[in-house]
Amino acid sequence: MATTSAPAPTKAPAKSPERQERDQREFGWNVMVWNDPITLMSYVVLVLRRLFGYDHATATRLMLQVHNEGRAVVATQPREQAEVSVAQLHSFGLQATLGRP
Amino acid sequence: MAQVLRRRGRIQVKLDKREREALLGIVDSLSPRLAAPLASAPRAYDDAKLQAEYDRWVRPDIDKGREVDLTMVRDALAGGEDTLPLTEPQALAWLRAFNHLRIAAGEVLGIEGDGWDETATDETKQKPEYGVLIALGYLQEELVAALES
Repeated sequence: MATTSAPAPTKAPAKSPERQERDQREFGWNVMVWNDPITLMSYVVLVLRRLFGYDHATATRLMLQVHNEGRAVVATQPREQAEVSVAQLHSFGLQATLGRP
Repeated sequence: MAQVLRRRGRIQVKLDKREREALLGIVDSLSPRLAAPLASAPRAYDDAKLQAEYDRWVRPDIDKGREVDLTMVRDALAGGEDTLPLTEPQALAWLRAFNHLRIAAGEVLGIEGDGWDETATDETKQKPEYGVLIALGYLQEELVAALES
């Protein structure tokens, strides 16, 4: 682990409720992949690697979470980007949704 | 038997005439099912209004892309060659097309849960759609391995 000292944390300015809502609306959208009985595990790993740039271990962990728990959040992105990601997952035939955390 | 090879960075699919004809038959028989939304078609949003916008603005591009993928596969199979060289984007297009076809086959068979290949009855195994799942699954595994190598 790196030993360089980190700068002292500064307190983030308080956000108005409107700003908090906007931030969540714009930046906090989860891209979720759902389990389906047809799609191959190896294919899901490949798709996650290609679309999100994950290494093999991370993509495999997410795929196993989908398989074992029925779903997994594979990315958290601004809404527009999350919608593009979901559309790409749909184009690969995966079950995917986006939603707020 | 069908093979997918990767040599010097190039992907080659080897299919004899009988295999190509069988695959063309699969594409032609299941493609019409994909033109209409499958019951299992993935939704993007829980919210009905957002989903309606997605269906209006995004879904048509996905459907169009799927048609392009299927046409690419169909044209390659109809070309009459035993060895089909694929670029990486083409290999990904084949994978996408095969996945949509497998999902359509699964819907025909009424598959709803994992382990279908272990619990399938003899009657189910005789159905052409079951053969589609197995054959395209094999080719998908081979294509994934070639792309990941």
